[in-house]
Amino acid sequence: MTMPGSNVFMEGSDDAPRTMVAFCRYARERGLTGGVQVTLGVLRATTCLGMAERETLRSGLRSVMCSSKDEWDLFDEIFETFWHPAESRLSRRSRRQESRAMDHSDRNRSPLMSGAVGESQAEDQGSQEVAGASEHERLRKADFSTLRQDDLAALEKIALRLLGQMSTRLSRRHRMTVSRGRLDLRRTIRHSILRGGEPIDLRYYKRKPQPNRLVILLDISGSMSPYSLFLVRFVYALQKHFKQVNTFLFSTHLIEITHLLRARHLPEALRSLSQLATGWSGGTKIGASLSDFNTLHARKLCRADTVFLILSDGWDTGEPAMLAAELAAVRQRVHKLIWLNPLLGLADYQPLTRGMSAALPHVDVFAPAHNLESLMALERHL
Amino acid sequence: METSVPSSPSASSQSIDTIISGFEHLGYVTDHSLATAIYLVTQLRKPLLVEGHAGLGKTEVAKVLAAFLATRLIRLQCYEGLDVSSAVYEWNYQKQLLAIKIQEPSKQTVEEKEKHIFSREFLLERPLLQSILVEDASPVLLIDEIDRADEAFEAFLLELLSDFQVTIPELGTVHAKHVPFVILTSNRSRELGDALKRRCLYQWIDYPDLEKEMRIVRTRFPRIEQQLAGQVVQFVQFVRKLPLSKPPGIAETLDCAQALMALGKHRLDPQAVEETLSCVSKSVEDSAKIKSAGLERILSLPTGQ
Repeated sequence: MTMPGSNVFMEGSDDAPRTMVAFCRYARERGLTGGVQVTLGVLRATTCLGMAERETLRSGLRSVMCSSKDEWDLFDEIFETFWHPAESRLSRRSRRQESRAMDHSDRNRSPLMSGAVGESQAEDQGSQEVAGASEHERLRKADFSTLRQDDLAALEKIALRLLGQMSTRLSRRHRMTVSRGRLDLRRTIRHSILRGGEPIDLRYYKRKPQPNRLVILLDISGSMSPYSLFLVRFVYALQKHFKQVNTFLFSTHLIEITHLLRARHLPEALRSLSQLATGWSGGTKIGASLSDFNTLHARKLCRADTVFLILSDGWDTGEPAMLAAELAAVRQRVHKLIWLNPLLGLADYQPLTRGMSAALPHVDVFAPAHNLESLMALERHL
Repeated sequence: METSVPSSPSASSQSIDTIISGFEHLGYVTDHSLATAIYLVTQLRKPLLVEGHAGLGKTEVAKVLAAFLATRLIRLQCYEGLDVSSAVYEWNYQKQLLAIKIQEPSKQTVEEKEKHIFSREFLLERPLLQSILVEDASPVLLIDEIDRADEAFEAFLLELLSDFQVTIPELGTVHAKHVPFVILTSNRSRELGDALKRRCLYQWIDYPDLEKEMRIVRTRFPRIEQQLAGQVVQFVQFVRKLPLSKPPGIAETLDCAQALMALGKHRLDPQAVEETLSCVSKSVEDSAKIKSAGLERILSLPTGQ
């Protein structure tokens, strides 16, 4: 089968490279990654494969230009639309997406992001740094729901610093519990030569301590909103200090935000979060969200050394039985399941909501998360 | 690393057909897409990264490629904590200690002794070094389940795959005489680094459609009864659509077909399904889901093959 659109570049063979380069650029604009190396690869592949056989060219280019399943799925459409611009489904779709994105930005920003520390505030650091010791103490114990907007920035600074301490303390603790280590024969022999071949000085090596993986599910439904504002920042700080963290938001469904929190600065991360978070009000379906997690992500993220962290108040509008079953499934896969509940900080709170009581049998650690101090206590469990 | 002169385009489609038929001859049913990728591996000499769910024959690609090219297959199975000493090389310490003892009375200087015990004689070659040291022809190097190895190893691999050389401090640098054909497989249990992915050709292997799976079953078991083959494939294709925690791959289809043949069944009925369910489902929950999914309907379908 010859390519219908082939006359575009078959007229002179000089045009073939130019067409391929144009195709690479076209693909890059539509979401494929890959730079000059890929383009060179494409040119070499085209020389091998020729351009007469459309299917061969398609398969070959797909192998060269894609580097993940997502790109693989995108490719066919890009290929089609490039050779047949007339029936460009893609462009129509992207236009649709654009208009949808417009809708989103017009809509009210979610409560999660309100009061995000803007750049102007971040620059104004002088006043925050002189916060006195008693002020420091007050902020550490203050319930998040009672915090004023202007305390937020100060709290954030303290949190980031404390978390820094926490992660180094954690790694040191690991190192000390590691046993004597194993004999490093290679270096022992090396050194024995100096002693005429008698291995007198023994050399050891130790396994580098690996911190646990962390998976975090953060509830951002309406009932959590006084807390989620700060918990997002907490999670951001956690992700900055621990290497392997995956973070999800949930209310009625689940959405991964790991990549968004990877932003270098917090305001940046919050801005991209606010663009993403839509329709977050409404009920909480913890069971359904966990089910999403189990089917889509558990296989990838849950291993024997994973610590699974849920930050939620346990107000569930779904079926408690489903919540229990899904939680049990998670529990089976991970090392430890921790549930942090901000309401546990209230003096008279009892975990009696249907959801919470269904969940408790499957939870290893049930702890409060209403102020900074309670969050720092998490260290003991990681 | 110089690639052979690209053959003419018309020769390419011929070569791809040769790959398809050659692989089929070796019991591996492939499609045009994968065959093209393999053809490019042989022409461009780039590594091929094969991704897909478990049990779809990713590892098999390398094995069959080695058989097809009549060359050696060298396999490196990755796991968490895989390090250079088990992937590239290691010194044979026991032998070194013995040699030191034996040399004791000799009048050799320390340098001479050192040179002796760090010679090739005392080197244990692990897969990656083996693949570089092959003397006669390019081997196929299979790096299996690369997603299980940690990122540090991935970074090391990057260097190896671009230069095909290994530096051993005591011996010097070893260059590959024949650049291996490299196949990497991944189950996507974690995302691989961009740098590695960019260096590779990419191939996604999906669950096969009905027709392809039929061909696979018949290629593997030429003596299977037509009706049974059709039913098994339809059954597995149906099961795959259920929300299972571990959907069955082609390996499971083949297990199931083989089990039925071993049990002397001629057609798949509810009882036969019950007996061979362990081939298809790997957990209690999945088994329950399959049983309650209305199997009668799928079993009574005419086998239109």
